Amino acid sequence: MNYRSLARVAGRCVPVLFLCATFAAAQEKTTAYRGARILPAGAPPIEQGVLVIAGGKILAVGGSATPIPDGAVVVDCSGQTITPGLIDASFRGGAAANDQNEQSGEVTPQLRVQDSLDPEDKSFARARQSGVTAVQVMPGTRNVIGGLGCVVKTFGSDPAAMVLKEDSGLRLVMGAEPSMGNRAIRGGNVDSMYYRRPTTRMGVVWEARKAFYDAKEAMQMTLGGAPPTANPGREVLTRALQGKLTVFTTARSEQDIRTALRLATEFGYKTVLDEAQDAHFVVDELAQAKVTVLLGAPSATAVAGTAGSDGSDPRYATIGLLARRGVPFVITTGSNLAALDLVREAMFAVRAGLSPAQAIDAVTILPARLLGLDARIGSLAAGKDADFVLWSHDPLDPAATAVSVHIDGNSVLESR
Amino acid sequence: MNSRLLPAATAALLALSATSQDQIAVKAGKILTITGPVIENGVVLIQNGRIQKVGKAADIEIPWTAKVIDASDKVVLPTWVLAHSQGGQRGLNENMQNVPWLSVADAIDPGSVYFEDCLRNGVGTIHVLPGNQTLLGGSGMVVRPFGRTVEDMSVAGNTGIKMSLLASGGGRLQQIRKLRRALEDVREYMADFDRRKAEFAKEQAAGAIPADKKWTEEYDRTKKPAIDLLNKKTKGWLFVPSVAEVDEAMRLGQNLDLMFVLGQNIDEATAVLAKANKPVILDDVFEYFETDEETQKERKVCTAKLLADAGVPFALSLGLAGPTSYPWWQLGTCVRNGIDRRQALEALTTVPARLLGMQDQIGSIAEGKLGNLQILTGDPLQATSWVDTVVLEGQVVYERSKDPRLQYLFGDEQNKASKAAGPEKAAEKATEKPAEKAAPATGDKPAGTGEDDKKKNEAK
Repeated sequence: MNYRSLARVAGRCVPVLFLCATFAAAQEKTTAYRGARILPAGAPPIEQGVLVIAGGKILAVGGSATPIPDGAVVVDCSGQTITPGLIDASFRGGAAANDQNEQSGEVTPQLRVQDSLDPEDKSFARARQSGVTAVQVMPGTRNVIGGLGCVVKTFGSDPAAMVLKEDSGLRLVMGAEPSMGNRAIRGGNVDSMYYRRPTTRMGVVWEARKAFYDAKEAMQMTLGGAPPTANPGREVLTRALQGKLTVFTTARSEQDIRTALRLATEFGYKTVLDEAQDAHFVVDELAQAKVTVLLGAPSATAVAGTAGSDGSDPRYATIGLLARRGVPFVITTGSNLAALDLVREAMFAVRAGLSPAQAIDAVTILPARLLGLDARIGSLAAGKDADFVLWSHDPLDPAATAVSVHIDGNSVLESR
Repeated sequence: MNSRLLPAATAALLALSATSQDQIAVKAGKILTITGPVIENGVVLIQNGRIQKVGKAADIEIPWTAKVIDASDKVVLPTWVLAHSQGGQRGLNENMQNVPWLSVADAIDPGSVYFEDCLRNGVGTIHVLPGNQTLLGGSGMVVRPFGRTVEDMSVAGNTGIKMSLLASGGGRLQQIRKLRRALEDVREYMADFDRRKAEFAKEQAAGAIPADKKWTEEYDRTKKPAIDLLNKKTKGWLFVPSVAEVDEAMRLGQNLDLMFVLGQNIDEATAVLAKANKPVILDDVFEYFETDEETQKERKVCTAKLLADAGVPFALSLGLAGPTSYPWWQLGTCVRNGIDRRQALEALTTVPARLLGMQDQIGSIAEGKLGNLQILTGDPLQATSWVDTVVLEGQVVYERSKDPRLQYLFGDEQNKASKAAGPEKAAEKATEKPAEKAAPATGDKPAGTGEDDKKKNEAK
């Protein structure tokens, strides 16, 4: 190891050690943030509010009359705004891109993105700096069934310690992306590991259908008393079929959204639609089926993923329409490379017709509920994790910045 | 450039003013004049396409003949000015590298959605230049985003030559060499021309050529624009893709009248750029992340803030798509990074106006300037503000309530099911649309519009 890389390692470790030491101290102290406008999410805003935290949890939230415990450190936040830490239910980062798309198979439900998690990935630092405190990391979108996602907090050095929820959802992908670039090698051996299938939309749907069909058959065999041989992938799909695991179906175009809904009905698993850019074409069906839409990067004018072949008409106006028609939705950054910080995506949604409260909810309490974590995160209430953001002013103003970001009470914003 | 540009501009304006003799009075909740103080409850009076009066409502008597636009709950600003744009063209990069004789007038497509978007965003003056991929790419022109033909849209022609240091093929040094070579070729041609002309005169004096014979040869027309560039009779708009090309740009700037159109990664060059002592044009992306080679940590960079700190005036650009295509986003990004609000607003108004030599015409709301106004529903730095009305040279050229694209985006009619359910609604829409499209033209431009309409329909 040369001098340079030693310096690099030292550069990485020392701040972490230092932070850990200061955190241990800070966490014990009861702290009261006073004077800010508090947007608790899922509840009306509180002017001149008080937020008291201790031991990494929220002790109390309320108006200016909220009692502040003796000995608490009081931070004056006049003119500033406090929101819960933002939650991105569909987050592109968390691991190197080539660590998210396994190429040894098209249907790999047993894979867990947790094993690819890289706490040092730059996306975590970016997320933290923009006020995002929890994200759902998912396997990539190049496999038909990519595997299991997990929800993590955006700060930490040990992936296991960052994880809030394991196996939070199963990645299923419709459309052109899983077959993108796949073709038979000319003159090559079909047994080659480079020979990837499927090559069409029908192939993609068939791979998914076959996998679920196999799992269903195995379930029936189990019911009949003959236990099938162990198969980790099939067991994951079985959990989905039993309603114990939500399927996050990436479906961008109208065609793919309809296919996703059809498959879910056919096999009876619970699904939500990730990156449903064309949701406005299917809005009535979505409202009727009460399928949650994860709207990736409402600000983007270019479609994510497959350069225009999936999704024809992305527009940020879609989100206003979903809100008016009662389609459940959350705002995410998704896989779109052009996605802005999550809070800016919420801002675009407000421009598109959401109320500010709806927009804040769509990046806090609604994704928390979607991920089944609303008892711990997503809003400011006594007993919940002290994950919150102090903004310079209204976070939906394009000129607003995150003054400080807290995860479990600890400030995680690197000074710059 | 002023001497060349302004007569052309004035001529174009005179022609226009003849078609807009109406007097317009805009009652504004708030007027951001940019150069003067903010006026609450103000009035802007426009006559013959120019701002006649601006001030407090109490101080200005609105003539009874004037057409009144009531924006008393809205904010009135001058329309934005873009000092460099590549939008609205078909084929913006000629494959041949050295084509200074071309003109964007032949590439601009008046039917382009880009110009519609300009109006939606409150942009009233656009300097369209060839793309960044040609060495000497032809001359630009200043247009307004309204009109059926390029002639209609024209505000000023021959605004200078687009040049680029963007590496093509052979890499950065090759590009620098090519540009130097191209300019040197023109210099050699000029020297040769002058030498032959001098010889002609000499031989004539010596009696070898009859005294009544005149020197008739002129500069090669394909070389003339580059000759003007070398003689500083025309400006060069030089694209400087990154910090690595800034030194060469400064060198070129010593002998030429250059304006710098900057690429993204110029954060390390701000001190050098400050020495040039003139405003620069920023890339539409001026806030980005940079990774430190040592620590691998990312750092957010805002080139606008660095330039502001270095005392370099800058003009903002707008992207062709995505968030940077919105002026409010660009301004918000400036303020978010610590730039003064006033300076941000100037970067889309007075600074680009000065770069175009049109500071007496556009960029602020002041008496005598062109009647170019945008009426916003709120503050120009808020995401929730929309451009409600655009007035260019005294003509209402955009109204949000009649914008079919926004109606499509924000209405419910894109939903197929509801469309099928309500045929009478669809029929209503169908009859509405053509009328809306024609409205601005028939209302304000009686001369020649019939023919132009026909042309546009054919083109579509």
